[in-house]
Amino acid sequence: MTRSKIAALTALGLAAAAMAGGATLAVAAPSASTTIATRKANFKKMGAAMKALKGELSGTPDKAKVLEAAKTIAATGRVQGQLFPAGTGPSSGVETDALPAIWTNRAAFDADMTKLVTEADKLVAAANTGNAAAMQAQFKAVGGTCGSCHKQFRADD
Amino acid sequence: MSEAATASTRIWDPAIRLFHWLLVGFVGFSWWTGEQHDMEWHRYSGYAILALLVFRLFWGFTGPRTARFGQFVKGPGAVSAYAKTLGSKSAHAADGHNPLGGWSVIAMLGALLVMVVAGLFAIDVDGFDGGPLSDYITFDQGRAFAEFHETVFNVILTLVALHIVAIAFYAVWKRQRLVPAMITGKRKLEAGETAQDLRWSPVLALIGLAIGVAIAWAASTGFRF
Repeated sequence: MTRSKIAALTALGLAAAAMAGGATLAVAAPSASTTIATRKANFKKMGAAMKALKGELSGTPDKAKVLEAAKTIAATGRVQGQLFPAGTGPSSGVETDALPAIWTNRAAFDADMTKLVTEADKLVAAANTGNAAAMQAQFKAVGGTCGSCHKQFRADD
Repeated sequence: MSEAATASTRIWDPAIRLFHWLLVGFVGFSWWTGEQHDMEWHRYSGYAILALLVFRLFWGFTGPRTARFGQFVKGPGAVSAYAKTLGSKSAHAADGHNPLGGWSVIAMLGALLVMVVAGLFAIDVDGFDGGPLSDYITFDQGRAFAEFHETVFNVILTLVALHIVAIAFYAVWKRQRLVPAMITGKRKLEAGETAQDLRWSPVLALIGLAIGVAIAWAASTGFRF
């Protein structure tokens, strides 16, 4: 190995270490703005999935599409509850509709999040049966969890 | 006010008066249900407003003289000439909308129509509840319509406020009471005036209403028949 090759590899290794370090840092303590941006994107993903369900269920539903949207909500809902650490409320200075009540009434908020996942799982099950009436009823149940949680924990714009 | 006039003349036909007060009621109801997030009744209220607006557009071509756009939509010359007489204490001579008020009517009808159409496409933040046409667009587009729907409401509130201020101005400054005329359809004749006819066809009014209801119903189904 030539001297220059060793130097190049060392530089590469250092750069990789630095990147890995940076990544580790981001996982360990993401900034409030990153967390807020992530949960906002997740909520939009769930909103889009809900809208897709609404569209499917207003006609003859396509089982595969209903299942896909239901799984998106169930999977995203599971992550969402962890994206509200202390310090990511309105006092963080980052624009968010999350109300301080989330942190002062944490147990109720966590219960709402759990309910979302439970109802979304039931929607996946309903989609698997292919029964349109069951899907419609469970879609309403999931939508109800959005609304009731938002009423208490989201700023009305 | 001059000496008590005994005779009266008709200004507003029953259909336009009914349109006016139903519109007031449904706009108020839409506001209330919107604030309460009662989207089911909010949608019904919006369909009713759509039917009323379609009727009004139809009536603007087929109704009696005071209802016709051709009679009250005036050019900038007439508007500015009329605006210059606003300071005068004498009341407007002609019946129906004055050249300035005519544009206020157009602005209100236009804003309400934009409002209803935006509402048809709007989707709520949960992607759960929305207008019947929101199925044709993406979630982000539906959200943009919903936000626009809220913005237009502020425009409508401003126009309604202006409308009420104008009515108060006529009542206080010109001593002309406009609200009773919109309820009874009549105003007292001034000395030396002769009563004017107000011809309108109940059949045409029903046709206009039927067209309005048909369009609102079609929109409510998302044009899926």
